[in-house]
Amino acid sequence: MIEVKDLSKRYEGRTVLDGISAAFGPGEVVALVGPSGGGKSTLLRCLNGLEPFDEGSVRVGGDVLGPGAARARGEQVWNIRRRVGFVFQQWHLFAHRTALGNVMEAPVYVKGLGRREAREQGRALLAKVGLSHREDAYPSELSGGEQQRVAIARALAMEPEALLLDEPTSALDPERVGELVDLLARLRADGLTLVVVTHEMRFARELASRMLVLHGGRIIEEGPPARVLDSPRHERTRAFLGLDRAAGLSPSRS
Amino acid sequence: MREFPFRARRPVLLPACGWVLLALALLSCGTEEGSGLERVRRAGVLRWGADAQGGEPYAMEDPDEPGRMRGFEVELAEALARELGVRARFVQNDWSNLIPSLERGSFDVALNGIEITPARAGRVLFTRPYFIFNLRLLARKDDASVTRLESLRGRRVGTLANSQAWELLLRSGVEAVPYEGVEEPYIDLEQGRVDGVLMDDIIAQRYGQPRPGLRVVGDVGEGYYAIAVRPGEEDLRAALDEALVRIARSGELRAIFRRWGIDSAAQQRMVDWTDAQTREVLADTRTTHLGWGQLVLFLQAAVVTLLVSVGAMALAIPLGVGLALVRLYGPGWAGRLATVYVELFRGTPVLLQLYVLYYGLAGVLRLDALSAAVLGLGLNYAAYESEVYRAGVQAVPRGQFEAALALGMHTRLAVRRVVMPQAFRVALPGVTNDFIALLKDSSLVSVISVVELTKRMTITAVDVRSWLLPGALCALLYLAMSYPLSRLARRLEARLERG
Repeated sequence: MIEVKDLSKRYEGRTVLDGISAAFGPGEVVALVGPSGGGKSTLLRCLNGLEPFDEGSVRVGGDVLGPGAARARGEQVWNIRRRVGFVFQQWHLFAHRTALGNVMEAPVYVKGLGRREAREQGRALLAKVGLSHREDAYPSELSGGEQQRVAIARALAMEPEALLLDEPTSALDPERVGELVDLLARLRADGLTLVVVTHEMRFARELASRMLVLHGGRIIEEGPPARVLDSPRHERTRAFLGLDRAAGLSPSRS
Repeated sequence: MREFPFRARRPVLLPACGWVLLALALLSCGTEEGSGLERVRRAGVLRWGADAQGGEPYAMEDPDEPGRMRGFEVELAEALARELGVRARFVQNDWSNLIPSLERGSFDVALNGIEITPARAGRVLFTRPYFIFNLRLLARKDDASVTRLESLRGRRVGTLANSQAWELLLRSGVEAVPYEGVEEPYIDLEQGRVDGVLMDDIIAQRYGQPRPGLRVVGDVGEGYYAIAVRPGEEDLRAALDEALVRIARSGELRAIFRRWGIDSAAQQRMVDWTDAQTREVLADTRTTHLGWGQLVLFLQAAVVTLLVSVGAMALAIPLGVGLALVRLYGPGWAGRLATVYVELFRGTPVLLQLYVLYYGLAGVLRLDALSAAVLGLGLNYAAYESEVYRAGVQAVPRGQFEAALALGMHTRLAVRRVVMPQAFRVALPGVTNDFIALLKDSSLVSVISVVELTKRMTITAVDVRSWLLPGALCALLYLAMSYPLSRLARRLEARLERG
């Protein structure tokens, strides 16, 4: 579904991504983990062209994204963005639109869907994320968890093949994380590819089929979450998970 | 073209200013009663107020010797001071404020082409006249239809507002177009924006007749320049009258006129001019009273103000949005060009821009006054608007734009659907503010002969010899236009607040 080849990015003389190659198959849920500054969020943003890179390529179906600024990369970047949804850490709901308006915006103005159809679709999506009763609320009137679910519904409205989520648990109350896991599990069941940047190892363990550990702009370890978390092979992974003797804490509680 | 109106003929004052001046005038009344001559003699100087911008041949700065004054009125003031046994001292004062400044005591007399009119006679004492002039009508050479003033009935004739010519035009059934400078009406006559210009012959000689496209139609009436003295200073007035008689009889007065090329046989009448003749001049002109007719004129002027403001804003908003977007999202060179535009229009006076647009570019861009007013103010306010929108756009979090891009929107669509609506919400109070400012700034377009509300007020105020009522009416009409707008804007803000 998404294929990354030799992706490199430098920023102010520092190498942020250093020759990353990875593939994300249909229906797969991949967790990107690693220490802060390891390149997780940057990689995620490169996957749908929000962040330009210097070398390598990102392929989504038949569309290939090369190095350079989005403006210079032509139609490819727009096509990719339509096929790969993004849910921001701070959600960035359109402040001047209601929950339903947020979900309807892209289908109407990007896809050219009729208003009535878009409204029906929007209502169905809000129902799917459990927010039918909040259709007419503005973002400022919604809780963090509600805003996140609207943001997911907004991304789903473009009927993407993959969804990228940046730190989805970071702004949620712990008791809400379970609801998010349920929702994402349903999306996985629908066949959606999910790539999730997270610090929450329990969340990753419950949801992901595969885990990539990024450090210094490289993938240092890769495998099923249970294997990576319980018997990490790379010493940097061990350090990150706090498994070295000094810390001695269980990573899944971090 | 001279840069600015250098011979404004009536006070350009906002109503509030008028009230302040009125209060000051009331306060200054009754001080130093009857002691004018004594004060002048004690001081040893006669301070005379005039505007050096009046230009030739009245009173102006000597181009060869900056700081020195020359002109026939300079020589006249010196001759009069000598007769009084004192020295003359020139005091620079804006022409339009000569009478208020005289009342305030900035100088002893005002001597600067001030015509004897009933409106002024109500506020100051006039000496006997020192110069007789004719009102001269000019038309275009290629317009043979103008044979006398009556042939211009219903057509546009330019002159200085509240001058003697102005009053004559109002009575003769032509459409009087008021100007603030002496050169502009002749430019407009050449351009075909007016069909005739009626002004004092010494002005016509210097500023109108040299223009190749114009011809003299004829002289249509007489007027008189006299010296204005503070009310109550009868002794100073009497002394000046005696001095004027002496220099008229000795031939010195006409010798001065000859040196400046403005002498004529008619000036001999100065020798045996009587007070009765002055009274006749004052009785000759009808005065206007504030009535229903004036109210209609005020309402018409308010419509002009509204039209100019709304028109200019309708131009400024899209242009401002365009400039802001080019600066924020356009290619580098276009952004720099937009920045130059903003700095140019924001950094120079709108008055100057109106002048350049209407008079300066008259040869290449033929605009009528109203279009020039809308265009000039619109171009100027676009610069301010663009800054309001730019600030608005910058207040929209970057994430909003990214979220739009992530949904597959192109930059243009993201700006239009996501950034601009939110930027507008931030910008709305600034836009309202600008519109109210524009409503008042629209009074500036009177310099290009558009009669809007403030201009109407000043014209009427001089006509009816009172600033109080016309000023209050004018203020009321401005408020009646701006207040509903602020209310509307506040309701709109409240509605947008929710989202």
